[in-house]
Amino acid sequence: MDPAVDELQTNPLDEEIASLKKQVAHLRKTIKIECSTILSSPSIKEALVSSLNPQPSPKSAALRPRKPRKSVDRDEQLLLTRSKQQEAYNQQCLYRISASVTAFKVHDPDPNAVDGGHVLGLRFEVMTRGQFMQPYYVMLNRPYPNNNKTLRVHRHTVPPAIPLPGLAARYLPVPKQQMENDSSVALPKQDLERFVKSLRREIMRYHNRLGVSADLRRSLGAHSQAAADGLSQLPSNAIIDVSIADTEAKQIRLTWADERNGRLVMDDDGKVVKFMVFGAEGRDWETTKQLTDSQGRVEDVAKMLEEYAAGR
Amino acid sequence: MVRFSVPTKARLPSSLRVDSSNPAVIKSLGRLSREALISLAISWLDEDTIANAVPYLERRDEEDEIDPDDIYPPCGSVQELYELYVEMQQQKGSKRDVANRILEGDWRHGLSLYQLAMVDFYYLEEHPMSQKWTAYKILPLKPPTKDADDEILQVDDKALNVPRFHPSTFLQSLQDQVLPDVKAHYQFYRPKDLSVLLLRIFVIESPYNSSMALSGVTGSGGATNFTSSRTVYLAFPDGSSHIYITKSQANGPAPTGESKSLQNLIIHGVPKALSRPRERYTLKPTSLTSRNLETLLDKRGPGRGNAAGGGWSIYASDKNKKSPLDAILPSPPLSRDSSLSEQNRKRSKPLNSDQRSAKRAKLVAQARFGDSGLVADGKGIERVDVLLKDPFPTPSAVENQGSEEDQANAPSETSVSARRRTIDAVLRQAADGDDEEMNEPGNPSQWRPTVQITFQGNHVFAGIRQLVEAGIVDGERMPGWMTGEDGVTVGVVKHGRIRGNKGSGL
Repeated sequence: MDPAVDELQTNPLDEEIASLKKQVAHLRKTIKIECSTILSSPSIKEALVSSLNPQPSPKSAALRPRKPRKSVDRDEQLLLTRSKQQEAYNQQCLYRISASVTAFKVHDPDPNAVDGGHVLGLRFEVMTRGQFMQPYYVMLNRPYPNNNKTLRVHRHTVPPAIPLPGLAARYLPVPKQQMENDSSVALPKQDLERFVKSLRREIMRYHNRLGVSADLRRSLGAHSQAAADGLSQLPSNAIIDVSIADTEAKQIRLTWADERNGRLVMDDDGKVVKFMVFGAEGRDWETTKQLTDSQGRVEDVAKMLEEYAAGR
Repeated sequence: MVRFSVPTKARLPSSLRVDSSNPAVIKSLGRLSREALISLAISWLDEDTIANAVPYLERRDEEDEIDPDDIYPPCGSVQELYELYVEMQQQKGSKRDVANRILEGDWRHGLSLYQLAMVDFYYLEEHPMSQKWTAYKILPLKPPTKDADDEILQVDDKALNVPRFHPSTFLQSLQDQVLPDVKAHYQFYRPKDLSVLLLRIFVIESPYNSSMALSGVTGSGGATNFTSSRTVYLAFPDGSSHIYITKSQANGPAPTGESKSLQNLIIHGVPKALSRPRERYTLKPTSLTSRNLETLLDKRGPGRGNAAGGGWSIYASDKNKKSPLDAILPSPPLSRDSSLSEQNRKRSKPLNSDQRSAKRAKLVAQARFGDSGLVADGKGIERVDVLLKDPFPTPSAVENQGSEEDQANAPSETSVSARRRTIDAVLRQAADGDDEEMNEPGNPSQWRPTVQITFQGNHVFAGIRQLVEAGIVDGERMPGWMTGEDGVTVGVVKHGRIRGNKGSGL
């Protein structure tokens, strides 16, 4: 057979298979959603519980055949456990939605883990543009045999931009080996609540700073696209590149179309601390002055930058 | 050629040329592939870099001097040369042709230090495993008290500022740290597919920063200064307060102590260069050494995996992202989640005991390693050294505990090399200089043999994972450090855990 014809014939088939597969995936997902909805409804749960513990009426027991009842029982048992899991998961989701920090228990798989492998997990929710992102986790364990209430950061998924070690040293200090100086020196108190509070604050600040620079990039995105294509005559005031210049995302590097570049430094709360523009011959005081009139938050400066780019 | 040279403290200029007949130059060009050589030559002829890589061009007014024997007649203009190399890109040929053309033709008067740096960077890009990187952590120091001049500053563990790195400022202050009898050339480079900034430091022992430094009028004849040069790479990962440093490499034979002192010089100079007034930093080794930059970026990089290795990696990976708004009950990580395999299960006959244990081993491996330690993830570590400090298991415990450890110890090579000795020293140091668990009662009746285990291979932890999956290593009783969750390549094990690193990664 002619291979070209063969190809022509297989192509529509392939397409059909692909579309069917897509449909199957969609239906599977729908089934899962339906399942979880049905399982979490209270009436279904009631029905399950009552069918498992039927009122002992001797009549019905006598009537019912023995064998199939057992398997039905097992299925119902399975359904009930599943429904219980679903309920627990629903509760977890609810907590995660309403509180941005949630705690859970983990078991350390290491057979030599301290404290029998008991680990306290903390989950920090972050949201960007109305979406839940992958949360950050901090796992705490209790490695000190003498003070069995003191915690220590065991594992975490917090990026290095957040000063977790510093916060841990401040609020979860290591207990001193109180061997020689008995109780004369007061033990440093651990404060888990403050630790979590300040860590959450740092994480939120970091994400807000990331968000500000992302917003700035997006609002100026049209220009950078045009510059990448290299076709249009850009106004010299247009910003072609916005990038984060340091680990903590506190500094934003700006590049204009006429090769001027600027640096914006903000503090923890998004207030602009420093702003400067470098032109071809050193500092460009004029632009700097023009743009720092507002002397406010990053968002204000971003707005001014946009106006400036538009040529006013 | 400069008529006379004055000793100076300045750095070596990028445009300084090294004679193209220098064996070191020929060797470094010879290591590159043909494609890399051509694209390198084209990049040299770029408008921005041409000043540091001026090619040998024909001069119009000396037409009578055309050499008929010249195999590579010089081109008239940069544009002409550029087109010539672009044309060569289309054609096929040997790499020797290109290398010879560069050395004997277009850059016959020598390659500038900039060009040599770029040659090395292209080699690094072609062979990413050619360097061995050691990760260091940048830590803030406590501000000095007013009156004490020579106090040793303590690491400020309560500091909340994250160190920041600015390339040009860093370079300026690093140059201030360099001794006057040593000259260095610096070149930054950003590799295509890794988020790091590489800095190549090329060091030569000479008081001059002119071509005198390279021509080598050393009095001892023959040997040029070039052979005593050293190259060190630093890598600054984006968005991470770590720094990766390679061992220095000599161009010629050099006593080993010397290269070490340069290494020390850099390790001491880098934190000073990173520091600013009222903000001081220090470097702390993190016991992680690998040839694989990607591994380093994963374990000491900008992401979430820095303190969540091994089984904990499931918390760091994006795969398990689950929005709380999605109420579908997630299948537990170890169950078959797709309904497809569920169907298969229904149809297939029940597993026999072998299959069941194999499956169980797989699940255990999944539980212990999570998403890490996969052969194809490209995050291999070549070598892990572990010193066991635990008492020898008593006869009753022997049955329970690790026969695999003895096996693993057996193949460790007996030849005591210099590298081995340094590792021993590091391990000893780690064992001694540890303030934790100091006052632990020593039990003389317990026998504590010094057992050192070395794992070697392309991807050590993937290998251990495979052993677990194959049922050779018992995944449930395997100690945690065998999963690589501590993220170190050198460590001391006490009470079954890597010491000084109880896992916090802080």
